[in-house]
Amino acid sequence: MVALNEVGAEKAVEELVKVDLTTTSVRELNAELHAPTARRYEVHNPRGAEAIAVGLHDAVDVEIHGPAGYYCAGMNMHADIVVHGNVGTGVAENMMSGSVRVKGDASQSAGATAHGGLLVIEGSASMRCGISMKGVDIVVGGDVGPMSAFMAQAGRLVVCGDAGDGLGDSIYEARLYVRGSVASLGADCVEKEMRDEHVAELTELLARAGMSHDASEFRRFGSARQLYHFAAHNSAAY
Amino acid sequence: MCGIVGLHLKNPALQPELGRLLVPMIEAMTSRGPDSAGLALYDDEGMHVVKDVGLPRDICAAHGIASRSGYQAVGHTRMATESAITPEHAHPFTPVPDLALVHNGSFSNHASVRRNLAFDGITCTTDNDSEVAARFIGREIAGGADLEDAMRMVLKEFDGFFTLLVTTATQFAVLRDSFACKPAVIAETADYVAMASEYHALAELPGIADARIVEPEPERVYAWSR
Repeated sequence: MVALNEVGAEKAVEELVKVDLTTTSVRELNAELHAPTARRYEVHNPRGAEAIAVGLHDAVDVEIHGPAGYYCAGMNMHADIVVHGNVGTGVAENMMSGSVRVKGDASQSAGATAHGGLLVIEGSASMRCGISMKGVDIVVGGDVGPMSAFMAQAGRLVVCGDAGDGLGDSIYEARLYVRGSVASLGADCVEKEMRDEHVAELTELLARAGMSHDASEFRRFGSARQLYHFAAHNSAAY
Repeated sequence: MCGIVGLHLKNPALQPELGRLLVPMIEAMTSRGPDSAGLALYDDEGMHVVKDVGLPRDICAAHGIASRSGYQAVGHTRMATESAITPEHAHPFTPVPDLALVHNGSFSNHASVRRNLAFDGITCTTDNDSEVAARFIGREIAGGADLEDAMRMVLKEFDGFFTLLVTTATQFAVLRDSFACKPAVIAETADYVAMASEYHALAELPGIADARIVEPEPERVYAWSR
């Protein structure tokens, strides 16, 4: 295993750098990932540490072997990050592009406020998955907890299992696809017709996420547009 | 922000290890609560409480926590938001024998509940909001309620944000409010139930890689008995 301080000031491009978080700090790891000397990284012994692989802006591959803590892969641009384990609150929050794949489960607020890229959670995600999402695509292999896609503005959330209470509360223009049951819908979120273009985009998303489900098994949900559209007949009230 | 940890041992063979397992857990929560810390440890002689201001590491060292044995423990690291930083304001709150409460969050109607408790002759010794919840649960239990029932009453009486871990001599129970903004994670193996605000407090526990990890749902009481 190459220790980061052995990589050298020359910034020679290494094929693969392995980082052990029992001997290297998260801050040192992230500094290396912000000015990468390699194309591929393996991170070992994360033990739930916070803010692993945050703020990347280069097209590197990062594999994290073990459970990661809060804000893993936050603000990601261009990088492809895989976590072989569970992740804490706010995985891939504010992601702009690239991809994040979680092989386990995710805690709250997965993909919060993310603008782009693809977040795949192979297990289940807890509460507020996709809160205020702004263009990211999120595919969850299992279930999502209550209040998911709260104030979701753009992007797509795909749930292969069940969704908890209050799905899509105060939603704007994100599209939600759920294969299982929905405990309840939030304010201004309604079921919508699955048209051909929705089946097509969902088929493409499932394939990118590596999920084998048939898009026809899903239902679509979105905004009733009663909350956030200004109603002209109310103009006299102002 | 505050940090909570708890350990409920199912395997008696681990009892001599209670303190050794607990210290890394509470130290991991230092960043969530650096101003004071407290612990309640249960063994066959009863509940033992340590509360002080300062870093968890120093408090654990000063009180020899690592060498303590027992079958159950809770710990708390405090970042004070609404009352003073003193040992008395530190958690756990232990208003009746064998009951310990640790809290992450803030109650917005604690003054009203405090007044109602006073009508029943129950007075708080600090102005801390968490103490009110501890005394409320203590009153319910003294009135014959099971710990699980008493915690469900908290949902009816209290407004605010909370993740609560409450223990008695026989029970270990976790409850989060309806928004569940305050974090909590529970790990269970054949040997123990462990609870913490964040996973990394559990990362050093034996067998954690194979533990069943759950994030408690809002408004649901999770309880274990011995």
